[in-house]
Amino acid sequence: MRVVVKLYGTLGQTFPGYQPSRGIEVNLPEEATVRDLLAHLGLPERAIVIVGGRVLPADAGLQNNAPVSIFQPIGGG
Amino acid sequence: MKLIRVNMTDKTIHTEDVPPEYAGLGGRGLSSVIINTEVPPRCDPLGPENKLIFAAGLLSGTTMPNTSRLSIGAKSPLTGGIKESNVGGMIAVAMGRLGIQAIIVEGQAPEGELYLLKIDGNGNASLIPAQEYKGMRTYPLVEKLLATYGKDYAVVCIGPAGEYKMPIASVQASDVDDRPCRAAGRGGMGAVMGAKGLKAILVDRRGKDGNPVADPEAFREAVKNLVQMIKSDPMNAEVMPNLGTAALVAPVNSMGGFPSYNARKGVLDGWENICGERMAEIIKERGGNPTHRGCDQCIIFCSNVYVDKDGKYVTSALEYETIWAMGGMTGITDLDVIARLDNLCDDIGVDTMSAGVAIAVAMDSGYRNFGDAAAAIEMMEEIGKGTEFGRILGGGGVAVGKHFNNPRVPAVKGQTIAAYDPRALLGLGVTFATSPMGADHTAGNVVGAYLTGMLDPLKPEGQVETSRFLQIAIAAYDTLGLCFMASVALLNPEAFEAVSKLIGAKLGQTLGPDEFPFGLGLRVLKAEREFNRRVGFTKEDDRLPRFFYEEPLPPHNTVFVIRDEELDSVFDF
Ligand code: SF4
Repeated sequence: MRVVVKLYGTLGQTFPGYQPSRGIEVNLPEEATVRDLLAHLGLPERAIVIVGGRVLPADAGLQNNAPVSIFQPIGGG
Repeated sequence: MKLIRVNMTDKTIHTEDVPPEYAGLGGRGLSSVIINTEVPPRCDPLGPENKLIFAAGLLSGTTMPNTSRLSIGAKSPLTGGIKESNVGGMIAVAMGRLGIQAIIVEGQAPEGELYLLKIDGNGNASLIPAQEYKGMRTYPLVEKLLATYGKDYAVVCIGPAGEYKMPIASVQASDVDDRPCRAAGRGGMGAVMGAKGLKAILVDRRGKDGNPVADPEAFREAVKNLVQMIKSDPMNAEVMPNLGTAALVAPVNSMGGFPSYNARKGVLDGWENICGERMAEIIKERGGNPTHRGCDQCIIFCSNVYVDKDGKYVTSALEYETIWAMGGMTGITDLDVIARLDNLCDDIGVDTMSAGVAIAVAMDSGYRNFGDAAAAIEMMEEIGKGTEFGRILGGGGVAVGKHFNNPRVPAVKGQTIAAYDPRALLGLGVTFATSPMGADHTAGNVVGAYLTGMLDPLKPEGQVETSRFLQIAIAAYDTLGLCFMASVALLNPEAFEAVSKLIGAKLGQTLGPDEFPFGLGLRVLKAEREFNRRVGFTKEDDRLPRFFYEEPLPPHNTVFVIRDEELDSVFDF
């Protein structure tokens, strides 16, 4: 499957040439989970993944073409 | 440590040692306990019986970093209940170093009189007539004060809004660059200061080692340990120094909980233009400073300096809550406009959150359209000039709602909410409803539990427990003078133990396992709730406004579903 990932906080800086407006296109196996996506991108598992307004746990599945947003954990503000 | 009592009625000043009943307290704990002990609950918040407390944190002025918070407390003209609003900058550390735990301002100067309170390098306080500063906005005021009295002073002051006694008036504090850009915004502490006849307090920053530590060796050890914990926290190591609190714009919109257009939607159209990532980019491009040390002894640097297209200073610490209030609520998606509105708030001396929501409620009532930047600036200027409509805006969202007969005012106990919609972020609703302060986010900001994956924001389970835990822990940290960013890195049992050792070393005692944060936090909350009870607040005041229960919030189309009995169980002690 293919997902478009947007990176927030300082995560974008770890991907040379990252453009916030475009994000990154990632191809993953059909049954891929949030954990697989993070591993694929080399991001720590504690990263926060939001899809469709919901924070997804690491073992949640992903859907083809779903826009995915990834954040560093933030303990408050 | 000393208390300085300043009587504005007869202009007398007394200095006393902190009495045993207030010992071991600072910051919010001290201000709230003093208010509950000494202020008649039914007094007029703007009358002579109210007291205005400026309490340095218990640890302010020690070597512990990020302890630069000053708690300002009084009976609030906005909520009618107890209030503590804390602010960073330079002054709490300056007080601590002079051995001053708190300044208690009592009585009232005759109408029309205005004073400065100056505390010199020996800790001696004097009142100085301040007619020449009447009506001044805070930026020119602080510049003039420092030109007159020398650069070595930390300042807190009010702008015209405080002199007009507007219920959303702030007290502004000078930062590391001597700019009055840090605010004790909430609850109208500026109005109480104005009612007392006090324009500014200056405290000499050259005091040395005034805040005594009983066991310096153990204190040093504990500080080392805690610095390690604060620095290794991922939020404080990465996110805060680069984006500041504005880092929350993106995730809260992505969760659908960013109250927009006066809380009609949970996602702002065009939030990408005003998010922290974009802000940091703009600041860097223009040569501003995205990584600024706003407060004395800070090791996190959540502050920033926002500049215009020519690289000229606009405002400092453009923060999440301000971007939300002046952007999300009003539908304005231009950071330059938001930064200017922030500067106007600081200069005029009003709370950015309360002012932004007041403007949004006016827009929601059809006074102007959402997204109208010129109208927002014009409304701020009306507040600054004290026009008739400006005074309504200066009364906050509830006053504006009354004026327009609009019941859609997101407020609890008279204080409007911060940047989290209770319908999509349920735990924030619990904190807004039950905090003795009114709808306050710092009192127990559950967003951290969502953005560390500990709690689902839309499921009722765990919201009450998390809000309760945070409200108790934060009440304790607010007492130490620790800033919020450092506090959220220290919300685990290991950190609590380290902080207990730190307090023990400072006071020369050994703290029991339940004393910090729970014993201390509960003592503070109990004092606050007792004061509110004596004012006449009941559990009916621990509720959100009706529309949060009835009007679904897009995109999740959910309402606030925590039951009243659960809200009542938050402080079932
Ligand atoms: S982290 Fe922010 S609020 Fe805390 S001391 Fe530093 S600049 Fe001030």
